[in-house]
Amino acid sequence: MEAYLGIDVGSVTTKLAALDENDELMAHVYQPTRGQPIEMVQRGLEQIKEQLPADVDICGVATTGSARYLAGVIVNADLVKNEITSHATAALSYFPEVQTVLEIGGQDSKIIIIRDGIVTDFGMNTVCAAGTGSFLDHQALRLNMTIEEFSQRAMDSQSAVRIAGRCTVFAESDMVHKQQVGHKIEDILYGLCQALVRNYINNIALGKEIKSPIAFQGGVAFNQAIVKAFKEELGAEVIVPRHHELMGAIGVALLVHEEMVNNKKSKFTGFQVSEAKYRTSSFECKSCTNLCEIAQISTNGQTLARWGGRCDMWERMPAEETR
Amino acid sequence: MTRIGIPRALLYYQYLPMWKVFFEHLGAEVVISSPTTQAMLTGGSARVVADTCLPVKVFLGHVLSLADECDLIFVPAVRSLEEKVYNCSKFLGLPDMTKAVIPESPPILETDIDISRGKNQLYREIYRLGRHFTRNPLKVKQAGLTAWQAHLDYRELMFDHKLTHIEATEKICGIPAEKPRTAVEDPASARTTIALVGHPYLICDEFINHRLIYRLEQAGNRVLTPEMITTKELESAIIRLTGGAYWTYEEEVVGAGGYFLQNEADGVIGIMAFGCGPDSLMMDTVRRHSARTKGVPFMCLTIEEHTAEAGVITRLEAFTDMIQRKKRRET
Repeated sequence: MEAYLGIDVGSVTTKLAALDENDELMAHVYQPTRGQPIEMVQRGLEQIKEQLPADVDICGVATTGSARYLAGVIVNADLVKNEITSHATAALSYFPEVQTVLEIGGQDSKIIIIRDGIVTDFGMNTVCAAGTGSFLDHQALRLNMTIEEFSQRAMDSQSAVRIAGRCTVFAESDMVHKQQVGHKIEDILYGLCQALVRNYINNIALGKEIKSPIAFQGGVAFNQAIVKAFKEELGAEVIVPRHHELMGAIGVALLVHEEMVNNKKSKFTGFQVSEAKYRTSSFECKSCTNLCEIAQISTNGQTLARWGGRCDMWERMPAEETR
Repeated sequence: MTRIGIPRALLYYQYLPMWKVFFEHLGAEVVISSPTTQAMLTGGSARVVADTCLPVKVFLGHVLSLADECDLIFVPAVRSLEEKVYNCSKFLGLPDMTKAVIPESPPILETDIDISRGKNQLYREIYRLGRHFTRNPLKVKQAGLTAWQAHLDYRELMFDHKLTHIEATEKICGIPAEKPRTAVEDPASARTTIALVGHPYLICDEFINHRLIYRLEQAGNRVLTPEMITTKELESAIIRLTGGAYWTYEEEVVGAGGYFLQNEADGVIGIMAFGCGPDSLMMDTVRRHSARTKGVPFMCLTIEEHTAEAGVITRLEAFTDMIQRKKRRET
């Protein structure tokens, strides 16, 4: 049985999705990355293998997300794609009419503008992670509640308080202040959701024409209160796809399916990689005064890949020459 | 022979052939700092207050690297190149800032270029500069004229052959361009064309822009830069967008942005330094114009000191994907 595997290794969560030859979702895994992208890819492969039929034949494997190159080396990916193209592809396959994709992940947020089935513009947050999933997580933790409770409590709000959303440091001091003068916690929480949405519209979506249908993807779409705040702010319906958190992985699986035509053979290492031992290390290159930090990944004493240099000297070096 | 150091930063890219010819004509030897390195950036950053922009930090790093290599360091203050068109204050005060933060540097050879004070003032300034080397005013005049011709030739070479500053400098002055270590696919076979808009000290400095041109070419794009377009075209684009330039070097941002959004390119990438005042206004003019006219896609990259390249790479990949998929659909 044919299957195409998409792996999305984000800063906070790792997602795997397996599609059959008709691009239907057969199996998926969604788990926290916990700062260990390699282990999580290995564990994810193990889990998805259990969900798939025994006679499955992986005809294509692709990676996306911020650790896409690292994950690509481990599974020997047929395709390594950025998150924007992956998310847009997935959105279009579920909603061919979609014109705007909002995507908020753990560390970054993006907007993708689509017209006539093709990406025409996109925006991404700058270095600052204000208004992304990590910030909501952090606030939930500070208030000693799970992110699910956060979402439910915020939905109960009757009159939201205004929180500064420009910067997380300001937002936090604003929240503390509001809580100390006696505002209800649900009103503060929903105020935070509104601040996050306002910040998104004024920064990432600045100058972009947001047209319906609008899809909202990424892990933060689990939070009902954020969805509600988006609907209010945009004055439009916001569709949350059933597998919104997997859209990156699904998108890159669709792309690799597209790619693997004419009986092209997949380079996939196989599910046994979940047992292999990988070692990562880094060193400072002293070939010139730039002193680049080179990271390398190896298995069984053999270097698989190196990156991080300003030039591609180390990337091109034959794999056998280990350091 | 007097050795004059020229830092490979800021206005170097626009004017090197002119400066080099001028000084050599007067019998001096020109020493150019090597391409930017991490050590230079670290050195420059350590000298300035926190608010100083990245290109100035880089400039000071280059000055530091030249300190033991030459007798004088050439640092011009470009005040104005046109009446009622203003330059960033960092360019106005560059010689003074250099002297203040690098007191141990060799003497600074200053010059004040201020066209708004009239042509006579400019000529006087050139003679004053030439007096460091000769007492013969005719010799200075000759050097000035030859230098100006070199500048015109340089500009023409870039317009006519669509060369970047670096490629043209290599042809004229024999300063080798920093070649990427792997061959780039033949740019002529590229499927899509991406135009870069921004100042040459950002577009041409591979260190601070994370090898932007090389990465775009590797991804199958032909790359165009503002210096490839005639001044006339750029100026008429500025008039179309804002009615007339306010900032010196506005043609590199607003002019080139206005031009490329409508001509020759499939996509435009603006590149600016974090915290740059004039660019924050100029780049926004381009962004607004692109949103209004619904021309080709536009993206702005803001660069700072961080060495993690992932952010730049993801944006470049997504941008290239976008325009290449669009083009494929259209054909």
